[in-house]
Amino acid sequence: MMGINRRDFLTALGVAGGGSALAFGPQVGLKVFQTLWGEDWVEVPTGLETRINSICQQCPGGCGITVRLVGDRAVKIDGNPFYPINRGGLCPKGQSGLQSLYDPDRIRGPLKRVGERGAGKWESISWDDAIKTVITKLQEIREKKETHTIAIMAGETRGLMQALLERFLLAFGSPNYIRVSDDLAAGPLDAFYLMQGLKEGLVYDLEQANYILSFGCDLLQSFWSPVQVLRAFGYIRRERGSRARVIQIEPRQSITATKADEWIPINPGTEGALALGIAHLMIREGLHDENFIWNNAFGFEDWIDDSRISHQGFKGLVLKEYSPGIVSSITGVPVDVIIRLAREFATTKPAVAIGLRGDVPSQMAVHALNALVGSIDSPGGVLVARDIPVPELPPIEPDEISQKGAQMPHIAQPAKEKYLLADYLPHTFLERASTGEPYKLEALFLYQTNPIFSSFNPEGVAGALDKIPFIVSFSSFMDESSQQADLILPDHTYLERWQDDPVYNLKGYPIIGLRRPVVSPLYDTRHTGDVIIQLARGLGGSLAQAFPGKDFPETLQYYFQKLFEQGRGDLVGQEFEEAWSKLLARGGWRSPSYQTAEEFWQRLQEKGGWWEPIYYYGEGERVFKTPSQRFEFYSQILKERVGVLAEERLKAIGVQVRGDKLFLPHWEAVKPPESNEEQYPFILNIYQPLVFAGLINASQPFLQGITSPAPLERWDCWIEINPELAKKLGISYGDQVWVESPRGKLSFRAKLVEGAMPEVVNIPLGVGHKALGRWAKNIGKNPLLIVEGHLEPLTGRPLINTTRVKIYRA
Amino acid sequence: MVRWGMVIDLDKCTACQACVVACQVENNVPPADPTIDAQYRAIHWLRLLEYREGEYPHVRTRLIPRPCMHCDKPPCVKVCPVGATNIGSEGIVDQIYGRCIGCRYCTTACPYTVKYMNWYRPRWPEEMKKAFNPDVTIRPKGVVEKCTFCSHRLIKARERVRAEARELGPGDYIPACVETCPSNAMYFGDLENPNGTVFQLARSHRAFKLLEDLGTEPKVIYLSEGE
Repeated sequence: MMGINRRDFLTALGVAGGGSALAFGPQVGLKVFQTLWGEDWVEVPTGLETRINSICQQCPGGCGITVRLVGDRAVKIDGNPFYPINRGGLCPKGQSGLQSLYDPDRIRGPLKRVGERGAGKWESISWDDAIKTVITKLQEIREKKETHTIAIMAGETRGLMQALLERFLLAFGSPNYIRVSDDLAAGPLDAFYLMQGLKEGLVYDLEQANYILSFGCDLLQSFWSPVQVLRAFGYIRRERGSRARVIQIEPRQSITATKADEWIPINPGTEGALALGIAHLMIREGLHDENFIWNNAFGFEDWIDDSRISHQGFKGLVLKEYSPGIVSSITGVPVDVIIRLAREFATTKPAVAIGLRGDVPSQMAVHALNALVGSIDSPGGVLVARDIPVPELPPIEPDEISQKGAQMPHIAQPAKEKYLLADYLPHTFLERASTGEPYKLEALFLYQTNPIFSSFNPEGVAGALDKIPFIVSFSSFMDESSQQADLILPDHTYLERWQDDPVYNLKGYPIIGLRRPVVSPLYDTRHTGDVIIQLARGLGGSLAQAFPGKDFPETLQYYFQKLFEQGRGDLVGQEFEEAWSKLLARGGWRSPSYQTAEEFWQRLQEKGGWWEPIYYYGEGERVFKTPSQRFEFYSQILKERVGVLAEERLKAIGVQVRGDKLFLPHWEAVKPPESNEEQYPFILNIYQPLVFAGLINASQPFLQGITSPAPLERWDCWIEINPELAKKLGISYGDQVWVESPRGKLSFRAKLVEGAMPEVVNIPLGVGHKALGRWAKNIGKNPLLIVEGHLEPLTGRPLINTTRVKIYRA
Repeated sequence: MVRWGMVIDLDKCTACQACVVACQVENNVPPADPTIDAQYRAIHWLRLLEYREGEYPHVRTRLIPRPCMHCDKPPCVKVCPVGATNIGSEGIVDQIYGRCIGCRYCTTACPYTVKYMNWYRPRWPEEMKKAFNPDVTIRPKGVVEKCTFCSHRLIKARERVRAEARELGPGDYIPACVETCPSNAMYFGDLENPNGTVFQLARSHRAFKLLEDLGTEPKVIYLSEGE
C-alpha cells in the first residue's frame, strides 16, 4: 500500500500528457492506489491484459462479444468484430453487461425459504443439501406415479440448454416444457405459419431492401435482435449505393418513427386495414407482381375447389371491401397518403412490409403485401432462415412410469376448440393449472423467466404459484417470481458460464455462437445444466443414462463434436470469407478453416462461433410448407383448423367473420365487448424501450440512467400525452396523472409530447419491479397492472394494446 | 500535426445510446441515482439531446448524441483560473483533476454543457469497483470532469505502435463510443489527413456543427439527416 502526494500525482499526470489518463497498470508496481483525497480506496487489478470472445445474453439477440480482462477482472465488453450478428457493434444493454456480473444484489449461493412464501426470509444451504431436497421431492412425485405434474418454465433459452431441460422432463416423465418468450417484436409469426406453413425462421433481409414499410414494429428499439437491425439501418442509409426509405406506421412517434423518413400516425389496432387499403390500390392500379402471384401464390383470384364450390380470392375481397375511402375512415390516414404509400411501395423494389404479432387477420394483411410486391424469398424481402443444425444426443429409454407421464396432455395445452391456432398458452396456463385444468402442478422449475412481472395478470400468477407445493428458481437475481420459490439454485451469469447459442441472422444464415466463461464464478453459484445433470444422476435409472456427459461443459463438447461430424459450415469470419464460402458452395465445395475436431473446438473458442453463410433462393419446398406448396393468400391451414366448427363455437371464441373471408387477410375491429368509449375515452399504448425490451435488465443502473434524455423522466415511468389534450385536461409537464382502466388505476408522471396522438396515451414497459435489487425495486410503475389482457381469439395470446383508459390529475 | 476529430452521421444514428453507456463503462463514470438525477447532477460525458419541432401530426424530433466538442477555441480553457482545463497540441481538450479547484467557471462558460461537476463523492458498491478500467482515474468530489476523447487509449496506442515500430495508423486509436456504435454512425480520426474518412466526411454537404456561430470551432462534426 502506498500513499501518493500531490506532487507525485501531478508528475504522473504530466507523464500521461492527456491529463485524465493516468496509466497505473501493473507495470507501475502499485498494489493499491489511493486517490488524492483519501476518500476512496481502489485496488488496482494485477496481471496480464487479455481478451476473451463470448456471446452476450443481455437479450436474445445473440451478439458476439469480446471481453477485456485485466488479471482476473472483466473491465469492458465490446462487440466481437468477427461475429456475423453484430460485426463489432454492441447496444447499450450489451455494454452494461458487467453490471449484471458485478451486481451487488446477486444471489450468492443456494437459498431455502424459511418464512412464509414471499416474506423474503431465506436460509443459506449447501449445494449438496439443496440438490438432495429436490431429488427427495422428485422421488416422492415419482413414487406417486404423477411424474407429469412437474413443469419447467423457461425464458429466452435455446440450443443445448433447452434440449437438456426437455430431455430431463421426458426422461422423468413429463411433457411440460413451457417456453415463455417475449415475442411481441418477433414479427407476424402466426401469419407466417398460416400463409407459408412455417413456425419459425421469418427474417427480413433489411440490408438489401430499398423500401421498408413498418406497421408498428419498433425496429430500432424492441426487435428481438436489436444490433442486427441497427447495423442494417446504418448500412441501408449511407454505406451502400442507394439510400433506402423507411416508413413507420404507428400511433406513437417512436424512435423508429423519428429516424424513419416518414411517420404516419394511425388509429391503434387498424394497421391491418391500412395494409389492405394499400393492397387494394396496388391491385386496382395493376402494380402487384403478377409473376410471383402466378407462379407462387394460392388464393389470389376466385377459385373452385374439388367439390365444385367456388371460393372468394384475395383480389375480389380487397377490391370489394377496402377502398381507400373506407380504409381512411377506419385508420385516420388521409386518402392521398394511402395512395402515395401504395405507389411507392409497389414501385421502389425490393420493398418489404414488416408487422407485429398482433391479431391474426392483421398479421395476414401485412404479410400479404410482401407477396403482392413479390418480396417472398427474394433479396431485400422476406427470407426463410436456413435450418440451424441440431447435433443429435443419444436416444433416451424412459421406463414405464416416465413413458406414461410423458404421454399426458401438456399442461399449457388449451382445449382444442378454444384457441384454434395455439399449441400451448404459455401466458395463461398457470392460472388455469391452479384450478386443476387440465391437472394441478406439484413442482415448478423457473429458468430465466419471471412470470409474475411479465404477466398481464401478476396477482393471478402469484396466486397460482402459491398453490404449487414446490417451486425451484434457477435465477441469479432475486426477482418477483423467485421470491415465491421454496428453493433458489442460482445459476451463473452469462459471463461465467459455458453455453451454445444457435441463432440466425437477417440474411437467413444459421449461426451457432459459443458462450464461454470470461471470469470464474464470483459466488457459490452453479450452472443450471450441471444441476440438471446432477439431479438426473441422483434420481438414477433411465434418467442418469439420458445425459451423455458428466457435466454441462462435457456435454457441450460432445455437442460440438457432433456438429463437426455433420460436416457443415465453417468458423465465423469476415465478409470476404462469407463471399468465399458462397462461391465454393456454388461449386459444391467446402473448405473449413479446421481439419480435426480438436482444432475445431480450439478455434471455435478463439473466434466465438460457427456459421454457414449460404442462402439459396427458390427452394420452393423449404419456403412454402402449405398444403398448396405456395404462398397462401387463402389459408388452407386455418381452414383446416377451423374445420366444421359450429356457428356458436365461432361466436364463443369471438370470431365475427364468416365464410371465405375468415381465411383471407381481412380486418375486423378488435373491440373488447366491455369497452366503454364514453367512460374510457383514450387508448392505452404500451411500448418497449430498447433498454428494457425483454424485461430482464432493469437492475442495471447504467440502463436506468438512459431511459430518457430528460433527467426528470429517468428512474421513473411516465405517460406521454399530446400537449393539446393535456391543456384540455389541465395537465402540465411533470404532474402526477391517474391512468384508470376498468381493471384499476396507476399514477404516472406526465410528459407532453407532440408525437403522441390526441386519443392515445403511451406508457413504456420495463420498470415497476417489486424486487430485483436496489436499482429496480420500487422504481417506476408497471403498466401491465392496468392492462385488461384481452386474448387473441385464434391464438390465445394476450393483446397488449386494446385497453381503454381515462386520465385525470392526481 | 494531427488534429483529432469526430464525425457523427445522424442519418445512420439510431439513438440507441450504446455510446452513452460505453463511455460510462470505459471512463469509470459512476451511475446516477434518482436523487442525483433529479438535481440535474448526473454525469454523462456523452449524452443524447432531444429536440422536438412542430405540432402534431407534423412533428420532427431530432436526437443528437453530444460528446465534448473539443473546440479549437474552447471557452472553458479561457476561463479556468488554474490551468486545469487545457487544449493539447493535437486538439484534445482535457481536464487535470489535480489542478481543478471546483470553481465551475468552465461549466458555466461551456455553451454545450459538457463539463460536469462532481457534486458528490462517486458512490460505487464494492462489487462494482471490480469493473473499473485501470487506465482511467476515479475522480474525487469537488472537481470538474469531461469527455477526453478517451485519450488514455491514445497513450496506449502510441505505446503499442512504438513497440511494433510503426506509425499510428487509422483505427489504432478510437474512443469507446465510436468503437461500440452498432450502426457505424460515428467516425473518428485525424481532421488534417486528406485521405482519412473523417477529413472527407467533414467536408460533406450535410456537415454542420453545433452552435457554430459562437466561434468555438468544434471538432465534432454532425452530418444531417435526410437525402
